[in-house]
Amino acid sequence: MMHLPVPQNHRGSTSMTGAPLQLPHDIPRRDFLRLSAAVVAAGILLPSTKPVAAQSMTSSERELLLHAIDVARSTGAQYADGRIIRTQFEAIGAREQMITQVQSTDSFGINVRALVGGSWGFSATQVLTRDAVAAMAREAVAIATANNEVAPSDTVLAQVDVFPDADWITPHTVDPFDVSLEDKAALLLRINEEALRVNNIRFSNSSILSVKEERLLATSEGSVIRQTLMRINPSINITAISPDGSDFQTRGAVVEPAGRGYEYIRGLELASSAEGWAEEAAMKLEAPSVEPGKWDLVLHPSNLWLTIHESIGHPTELDRALGFEANYAGTSFIYPPIDVINKLRLGPDFLQFVGNRTEFGGCATTGWDDEGVPAEIWPIIEDGLFVDYQTTREQADWISQYTGITRSHGCSYGQNWESMPFQRMPNVSMLPGENDLSEDDVIANTDRGILVEGRGSYSIDQQRYNIQFAGQVFWEIRNGRKYRMLRDVAYVGRTPEFWNALDTIGGPSTYYLGASFGDAKGQPIQVNAVSHGCPISLFRDIDIINTA
Amino acid sequence: MAEEKGLSSDDLKAISDRIFRLSNADQCRVNINSGWRGYTRVATNRITSAGGADATYINITSVFGKRVASVRTNSFEDDALLAAVRRSEAMARLAPESPEYVDELNLQSYQDNQAYYESTGTLEAITRAEAAAIAIRQAEAAGQIAASYMDVRAGTRSVATSKGVYGSHSSTGVAYTLTSRTRDGLQSGWAGDEANDWNNIESQRIADDAVVKCRDWRKTALDPGEYTVILEPTAVGMLMLRMMNSFNQRTADEGRSYFSKAGGGNRIGEKLFDDRINIYSDPAYPDAETSPFNSSGQPIIRQDWIRSGTVEDLARSRFWAGQLDQEPLPAPSNLIMQGGNDSLEEMIASTKRGVLLTRFWYIRGLNPRIMSYTGLTRDGTFLIEDGKITRPVTNFRFNQSLVEMLQNIEMIGSSVRVAASENSSVSTPIVVPTLKVSSFNLSSVSDAI
Repeated sequence: MMHLPVPQNHRGSTSMTGAPLQLPHDIPRRDFLRLSAAVVAAGILLPSTKPVAAQSMTSSERELLLHAIDVARSTGAQYADGRIIRTQFEAIGAREQMITQVQSTDSFGINVRALVGGSWGFSATQVLTRDAVAAMAREAVAIATANNEVAPSDTVLAQVDVFPDADWITPHTVDPFDVSLEDKAALLLRINEEALRVNNIRFSNSSILSVKEERLLATSEGSVIRQTLMRINPSINITAISPDGSDFQTRGAVVEPAGRGYEYIRGLELASSAEGWAEEAAMKLEAPSVEPGKWDLVLHPSNLWLTIHESIGHPTELDRALGFEANYAGTSFIYPPIDVINKLRLGPDFLQFVGNRTEFGGCATTGWDDEGVPAEIWPIIEDGLFVDYQTTREQADWISQYTGITRSHGCSYGQNWESMPFQRMPNVSMLPGENDLSEDDVIANTDRGILVEGRGSYSIDQQRYNIQFAGQVFWEIRNGRKYRMLRDVAYVGRTPEFWNALDTIGGPSTYYLGASFGDAKGQPIQVNAVSHGCPISLFRDIDIINTA
Repeated sequence: MAEEKGLSSDDLKAISDRIFRLSNADQCRVNINSGWRGYTRVATNRITSAGGADATYINITSVFGKRVASVRTNSFEDDALLAAVRRSEAMARLAPESPEYVDELNLQSYQDNQAYYESTGTLEAITRAEAAAIAIRQAEAAGQIAASYMDVRAGTRSVATSKGVYGSHSSTGVAYTLTSRTRDGLQSGWAGDEANDWNNIESQRIADDAVVKCRDWRKTALDPGEYTVILEPTAVGMLMLRMMNSFNQRTADEGRSYFSKAGGGNRIGEKLFDDRINIYSDPAYPDAETSPFNSSGQPIIRQDWIRSGTVEDLARSRFWAGQLDQEPLPAPSNLIMQGGNDSLEEMIASTKRGVLLTRFWYIRGLNPRIMSYTGLTRDGTFLIEDGKITRPVTNFRFNQSLVEMLQNIEMIGSSVRVAASENSSVSTPIVVPTLKVSSFNLSSVSDAI
């Protein structure tokens, strides 16, 4: 069986309790197996232990949810599913030597989604009584019925195994909600203190956002699945002001959010690293502005992950490609399916991408999706060729004649009890190279280049062609070595040409997991948390502009 | 009159008072949002999702000395409320002191602006579906594919402090937007409206406009570069929504904004833009009404930000105002840019060579020192030659300073409320005119349609 490498930014602490990670159902390609062998040889293995943490959903909540499904079915839905979801957030923020925010949110409610003819209706309530829940279910059926009369449509749901009593919890050692506010506040104030030691550093903001989602899912086909998802987002932003007040520069995006417990924060060594990040902010004040033109580009994974999110993750969402997001998030250049599946070349033949709902530390890692489909890993780009999209149960049928895959890839997610689930991005990750090239090895492959670290200002068009991406810190590379800091850099291009300019990729030791809590899609807009793993990568002859 | 959506003002007051009776904190503030959201979404000429939910969220802020913490919950049974109050108190006791905390306000008075429209509050799923069907039929008749979204909100918000503030305000909002595309995906057109009052949403005009903009004439390439542009109100509004955030005195005083003065301080009183630029906020502006108070209970009234091109004032928090011994000034809750008398037809007729822009996508900040942004044109980009629209052209990425844009104004049309958020949800009301700008940097071609 296959294991991806543990990302380099997740090696601080990997012992934990929680459910075992889901393993892939299909034997992966031989390339994956070779990679797996290399990783096992290096002694990096994912932990695999039994679930121990208690989950909070009670038997009365289970009965209420099943009642909602029954009412929907008995009033005309041929299929229904529903969720009881409790979402907790805790945010603590600090600015310089003061705490600016202590906020906790607790949101609890129930929803049901009903299929009548080929049309969906959705309703939700925060009133968890039998009467209110029954009224909600009838409302969902009424909306579905009205929609189907005005604009009838066909919907075929892909087959799924039934899991009548399933559990999953994000693997973790320390529940972030069990760590005291005092501990978190002390850490943030220390981070800011360390940053403010550096000359010309005037401001330092830091925060920790913790999220816990307790979800009970039931379907009219008989699945009942309890899950607890945890995520954590440490954030630091440091501002340097020039002595005469004429300029300011910032250094942010220094570490990544993760689908893990508080042990992840403890493994990051934030306080001892803050001075270094502050020095980078101060150095930016003095750094020369970039000379625009063609440069080789070495993208550190802390920058590349967002380029992957925008230029590979989004255009391989099947609903987007088929026009379902045309009024907001847009469509896709990877279209139509008949012309692109197994045909469209998106990079050199060593380029491999997977969709992965099982990735260790991934923000979109889960046991089952919002339709009861078990988490899995599947190829999206194989040997540089586009081979598959991200799908839900109703979408699998739309492309099965081209992919040969009749089941959903398990990409359904609704952000909370108020929100109707739809297709959301899984962790979409780029596999590291078979040769274990280090960061220095990759940098050594160019005589004149720019190394980009951290994500900066990102903008891409609504079909995912025209990219303009910036970073946090830029280093000029001369004769295969980091030479000096630059500033005001953004790289621009057209997605297919950009990925085909990929020349060299780092090995498993450079594999790193970037992430965002803010993947936005849908109307009403919903946010999804998602991670992207990748190695350090060298692209040839990329257009650089000066943003000053 | 039909009953308003969400809990009533009296209910919110009763919940707030219950919380104050339970509270052991030195000071306490309660903010409640109670309401309903409904929506209907169309893609591929069918309704793909529709639904709704009622929700009430209560935010309790407890204060001991200068230790502050907030708990937000959507449960208001007695037990749950007590638990939330105690949790906020426990968190506040654990929190380090916030040196910038300013005491809660005492009794305030707020202007009464009617912002709740029954037409919107009673908008049912079937009415939303019928509006959607107009667009679907119109698109099908033209051989096009419709994707639309209608977002509807209705409810009441309140603020109360243990020192005597109480305010409540009911409002409604509806946004309806439509993108129509040709079947081959080679052309796209957009139209949309946003209002407090459903009666001001023109479903038929929106269907007509989006389908006409998408008409089946082929796009041709145009070189990137600096162009004279005519920005339709939605395009202007999407940029002004970003500019709103920069009306902040503290970031200016701290040297982190365009409004920072070199050597320290800010540029209040300086003339920075074209004489005809007037930007203000007004919570009573018709069909763009907002709450007359903010979350801390400060009254919000009409305020000039830019008058005749001069920076009139910048928002100051109560803390920052106290540091400077000035009056606090709450941030704007809506934004109105005063219109002019120029018609779209006159703007086109007076343009020898230029580009007409419908709306933007993926706008992101580049350089806050010059208020520059990047983003892409979308769903209706047309070349103007010798006073006429001659053909649709490919989309562009822009890299543009908003400061320079507001210095290079040629003509100003009348102001209208626009759907300014990229995701087309009901958002901060933005009322802006069509603008003709002499130079706008369309920096590269986008192949997206």
